[in-house]
Amino acid sequence: MAIVDQKKNEQEQLDQEIKQLVMARLKALPEGIEVSIGSDGSFNKEELIKSVEADDEIGKKMIEVDMQSLQALKEGDFYV
Amino acid sequence: MSKYKVLLITRPDHDKATRYLSAWSDKIIQMAGVKDIPVFDLKRKKANKEDLTSFLKKKDPALVILNGHGNIDEVTGHNNKLLVKAGENEHILKGRIIYALSCSSALILGKKSISAGALSYIGYEKDFMLCNDSHKIARPLQDKVAKLFLEPSNQICKSLLKGNTCGKASENSKKIFAKNIRMLLSSDAPLGSSEYAKFLWWDMKAQVCLGDMEATF
Repeated sequence: MAIVDQKKNEQEQLDQEIKQLVMARLKALPEGIEVSIGSDGSFNKEELIKSVEADDEIGKKMIEVDMQSLQALKEGDFYV
Repeated sequence: MSKYKVLLITRPDHDKATRYLSAWSDKIIQMAGVKDIPVFDLKRKKANKEDLTSFLKKKDPALVILNGHGNIDEVTGHNNKLLVKAGENEHILKGRIIYALSCSSALILGKKSISAGALSYIGYEKDFMLCNDSHKIARPLQDKVAKLFLEPSNQICKSLLKGNTCGKASENSKKIFAKNIRMLLSSDAPLGSSEYAKFLWWDMKAQVCLGDMEATF
């Protein structure tokens, strides 16, 4: 049980670190840039950051985009 | 039965994203005009299921461009009203080349369309992310940020209108996505612009060409 709890805590910590990373990267978006995500709507960077913090559907999409693109960059798959 | 060398395009225009898609589709219509290709432009309220079905039946276009929102099994038109849905009316796309600038529709609708006889379906298997400059909303065609996303999308239509195969059209589009990504990551790019390169990458990776890659318009 203790091991399970420890793993759960580690995962939560990792998830939090990922969120912080994604939020930091979103902060670096230039002012005035908006992102349209299908019929979900159009969002400025402040709204996207709030979504990541709130862990809502838009926030989850931002995390997915960031994590997958960073992985691609690491693997040299970003330009192909 | 061969289709007519005619282009049908849907252009809903009810929110920011569709406004951009509609505006940038002007360039596609101009390209078709230069090549003397008739265009049936279902703009705004005309981007509805009834008009789409009617025009497909009467004019029998070989190339159909569907702009609009969507999800894995449907593409919508003006005010997000349904246009085509897998399991309902994908048969209307039979025998045609389709380019759907619509979120995720290639995942199910695209495949079902091919099963129902569509020649080829170029689309996206995930959400299409579109960045824009909020200062240029009134002039979408002057938006250099949106251009990074919609120029590669328009390249599909440009390539098809030039007679390239569907596979080649998708390939050409992805090359422009990649070129734009490289530009954003270069040291000459404006500060912070590398942060939206990831959305271009996302769209590039999500684009697929289903069905007959050798099909031409």
